Amino acid sequence: MICDQCGERSASVIVKQQQQDQIVKVNLCHICAAENHSINIAFEQDPLAIHQLLSNWFPNSQASINPVRKEVATCPSCGFTFSKFLRIGKFGCASCYDAFSPQLNEIFKRFHNGNTEHNGKIPASYGTTLKIKKEIEELRKQMQISIQGENFEEAARLRDEVKILSAKLEGGIPDGS
Amino acid sequence: MAVERFLQPRASSWMTNDGKNVDIAMSTRIRLARNLNNFKFPYAFTEDEALKVDKEISSVLLDKGNELDYTFSHISIEELAELQKEILVEKHLISPYLINSHHSGSVLLSDNEELSIMVNEEDHLRIQSLQSGFQLQQAYKIANELDSLLEKNLSYAFHEKHGYLTSCPTNVGTGMRASVMLHLPALTMSHQIQRIIPAISRLGMVVRGIYGEGSEALGNVYQISNQLTLGKSEYEILQDLENMTEQIIQQERRAREAIALNSPVVIEDRIYRSLGVLTHSRLLTTEEAATCLSDVRLGIDLKMIQDVDMSILNELMIFMQPAFLQQYADKPLQPKERDFARAKLFRERLNRNGINSEGEDLA
Repeated sequence: MICDQCGERSASVIVKQQQQDQIVKVNLCHICAAENHSINIAFEQDPLAIHQLLSNWFPNSQASINPVRKEVATCPSCGFTFSKFLRIGKFGCASCYDAFSPQLNEIFKRFHNGNTEHNGKIPASYGTTLKIKKEIEELRKQMQISIQGENFEEAARLRDEVKILSAKLEGGIPDGS
Repeated sequence: MAVERFLQPRASSWMTNDGKNVDIAMSTRIRLARNLNNFKFPYAFTEDEALKVDKEISSVLLDKGNELDYTFSHISIEELAELQKEILVEKHLISPYLINSHHSGSVLLSDNEELSIMVNEEDHLRIQSLQSGFQLQQAYKIANELDSLLEKNLSYAFHEKHGYLTSCPTNVGTGMRASVMLHLPALTMSHQIQRIIPAISRLGMVVRGIYGEGSEALGNVYQISNQLTLGKSEYEILQDLENMTEQIIQQERRAREAIALNSPVVIEDRIYRSLGVLTHSRLLTTEEAATCLSDVRLGIDLKMIQDVDMSILNELMIFMQPAFLQQYADKPLQPKERDFARAKLFRERLNRNGINSEGEDLA
């Protein structure tokens, strides 16, 4: 059993606490147990116990101590491995999203009703470039449809539009980041 | 010290009794999770980075807050006494997670206590906007304006495909959690709430008791919030939550009407017994106080009780908690002593305001 608090060491102490009319049980390692005089359970943070869900979904990745050492995805920026991500259920930095990207769609789909792409607010500083990229994507889609429909004049017009927009992107519109 | 003003036993404006559907919807909260681009997230960063993050975010808020007519007070968590931390948690101005964090963290509070920005909680930034009653759009507008101010001066971790990047995969995308606190005594009494909760969870939203995790919520207070943060825009998420909340409010109204119609004497008896307990008991546990507060609230809503001010009940919900009681008593209190102090607090606050207190107050 892994410690509920640090998620790293194995648990050796079981703490039961009466909290507002119910018994709350926590498994702690000896270090975390020593630190905790009154245990405050952050229900607000993790109503789902995310790391438990993750390790149920990816039972194989959990076995990180493998005699045949498989290559485990590691984030170059913060050093988190994919198995650490599964174990604690949290990312270590922004680059983790790229380092673990092959597995993320599967995870996001489960947490977010099948969704994998953001559809909300975009910071103004990212806005210009991102908007152009999305426009290009849309134009390319339309272009494919035109080609399939053998509407080559329209396709050529769309291709030119894509060219203009791509040039705009490369022309280095400051993206502010 | 900057924190003093926020520790006073005075209700924040969002605890008052204004706003739409305020008899059932007690308060609204929007939370936005954000991280900075150039620092590792709190699960991986060093203490040195934690301090730099705090400095970067705080200086923007302290310098530019006035652009939105806010004055923020910066409060370092480490500098607070234990009791002070707990009071801020009991007021919902900071999270329990923040005070247990191993890194330097802080909170910036607006003077009216409607905005609370936690630094180095689970994410670098947690923007919290609080409003009384049922005001999702208004609460979001305030959070969003502050977010836009911050993004002009800070570089956020944002991903074209995944949106705002957060420590937890359940927050990625909009980073937004919107929630409404609801008082649902009639749906609880009639056990309808047990059918509503699982139905809602299938729609990307969640309802749970705000104090404690059991099926019976303490004081019949529930929180409804969006679970999903990826794939829908903020506007759509708020719309969905608003529609669902409105439906629950209607159901609660219907259940209240049914109860008042079918068993008027039983309900009236229950309400007045609870009022009696709150105004006359000498030992009052949290559970009993919460249950009785719920009954008295219902009594006011059903116009059975006329002479109790609802906003006093809202205050008492907050001030009956352990840290506030100990501040009120000005000394540490054991659980039994708290029950005594709690009973005294209720008698003083309720009797002062017009209810005729029969019998001598021996305390």
